[in-house]
Amino acid sequence: MNQTPPNLLKKILITTVVALMFFLVTVLLGISIGSSGKTLFSVFEWLAGKGDADPMLHTIIWQIRLPRVLLAAMVGASLSMGGLVFQALLRNPLAEPYILGISGGAAIGAIIGILLGLARFPGVTLFAFVGSCATLALLLMMTSGSTILRKDSLLLSGVMVNAFCSALIMFLVSITQDARLHNIIFWLMGDLGMVGMGQTGILAGILLPCFIVFFLLSNTLNLMVMGKESALAMGINVQVMNIILLVSTSIMISASVSYSGLIGFVGLVMPHLLRLVLGSDHRVLVPACIFGGGGYMVLCDLLARALPRQGEMPAGVVTALIGASLFIYLLKRAK
Amino acid sequence: MILLIAVVSLQAVTAEKTVTDLLGRELVVTSHPVRIIALAPSITEIVFALEQENRLVGVTQYSDFPEAAGRLPKVGSYVNLDLERIVSLRPDLCIGVKDGNPKDVVDRLDDLDIPVYVVNPKGLDSVMQTLAAIGGLLDVQAKADELIAAMQLRIDRVEQTVQQAETRPRVFFQIGISPIVSVGTPTFIHELIVRAGGRNVAEGSFAYPRYSREQVLGMQPDVIVITSMARFAIFQQVKSDWEQWPDIPAVKHGRIFMQDSNLFDRPTPRLVAGLELLARLVHPELFEGEP
Repeated sequence: MNQTPPNLLKKILITTVVALMFFLVTVLLGISIGSSGKTLFSVFEWLAGKGDADPMLHTIIWQIRLPRVLLAAMVGASLSMGGLVFQALLRNPLAEPYILGISGGAAIGAIIGILLGLARFPGVTLFAFVGSCATLALLLMMTSGSTILRKDSLLLSGVMVNAFCSALIMFLVSITQDARLHNIIFWLMGDLGMVGMGQTGILAGILLPCFIVFFLLSNTLNLMVMGKESALAMGINVQVMNIILLVSTSIMISASVSYSGLIGFVGLVMPHLLRLVLGSDHRVLVPACIFGGGGYMVLCDLLARALPRQGEMPAGVVTALIGASLFIYLLKRAK
Repeated sequence: MILLIAVVSLQAVTAEKTVTDLLGRELVVTSHPVRIIALAPSITEIVFALEQENRLVGVTQYSDFPEAAGRLPKVGSYVNLDLERIVSLRPDLCIGVKDGNPKDVVDRLDDLDIPVYVVNPKGLDSVMQTLAAIGGLLDVQAKADELIAAMQLRIDRVEQTVQQAETRPRVFFQIGISPIVSVGTPTFIHELIVRAGGRNVAEGSFAYPRYSREQVLGMQPDVIVITSMARFAIFQQVKSDWEQWPDIPAVKHGRIFMQDSNLFDRPTPRLVAGLELLARLVHPELFEGEP
């Protein structure tokens, strides 16, 4: 924050370009590997605009792998951003949409939407938004009041909200009898495979404005990290900013959850890694988090696709294995 | 002559036909599809029964009957299909089932210009309709008719035999071990029980109702049939669990049976074998002296 603008601009540019490169490499890997074989070479040929146009390969790369990679990227970017914003606003390094139960709330809304037979967009997404807002309000209610936002009480509240959400999800799943049950269960585990290009476009349309809001408010985030009093002293309308940031985060998380199901702990890994490398200036962190988080999720999905010999495992398994280990490490270190 | 064959085969490759599947969806298929993917084990069995297995290029996991089906390339399980595998096998036709194959996948295959012919078998009669429809689709109507006639004959024989029965024993058909799950009215197993001359104690609007042990005791089944993909050891355990309750007529008379679930829950020509088996379990007295 003490840097002069030209220096800052340079830092933002460099980190963004590096993050973007990382992201593009993961995308290239993502569209090169799939259940029908590895086709890295063919992809390069495609990019170079030569090679025989095998229509089957063309279909696989552009209409099956690319939408999946783009979906993973958008989900990873939004969950990482969600982690970054929650960690700043709640001033808790372990805050993350899944741990706090916000994703779970969105999932409840989405399941109700699916059971009502609504379309993915706008019906299910809207229900997911209502669900995530409700859990967010519940969480803020539980942690506000006389008690200050203590680290443990926030996490405990999150764990409780999450437990309640899981119970509600199990309830909804157990009263479902028909074929929709399979759909719900696969979606819940984090199924990224069933989305076409059109739907990734819709999701991008929801997420991009949120990303822009976060980038524009990144300096505000810097000030709010220092505490309510200092932010007020700097002339920031804390209440309004809080609402704008939390609502944008909710929109982002619920849109991601309604397309990808419950993928946990993504919001923990990238923000921590980036803060370690880049420091705590959100003007640098926001763009890095978007591309870095996107790339991270593409890699996790790639592992989920490539590791099992038969079929694939849900991407949420990989993110939880990595993220939960990091969570335990961070918790231990904090003590 | 060679020229003629060439022309005809060329036509066969390029000609298309518009067909309506059993859900009423219209689709355009090559007139003689030769690269077919069966999106469920039951479809695989039907294509094999029609003796068109040489036209199959892909099947789903658990396609284990006949044995040769297991050696074909897999495209995921029928509820969790692998889109990329399907596309990479370059199918000119996929045959799917309404209950099981996710609608998302069918829609995406449609978008990718891969025709998916969807069937929806709900009972013995509609299995025969499905056979006829797939037979028509694959241009083997005669073979399909032959299979249907054979099925009908065997069904009639069972029903005639069962008509002589004086009682309709109460059957508890257990498809899930823990929790205990049975089959309600909207399943083909229910239909098989009724046609085999039994009464399904779990009848009701839920397809797969769950039961507690206490409820099963209260229903007093005369016959308990357990189907499971589980191994024999597990069956012994489930059987001895039930044997703790000699008040159940089925236990008292030793009428607890384990059967291969594939004969009962796959809508294929083999369902008739399931019916015959069930009839023998429910009314052993009527089949005495038969092989």
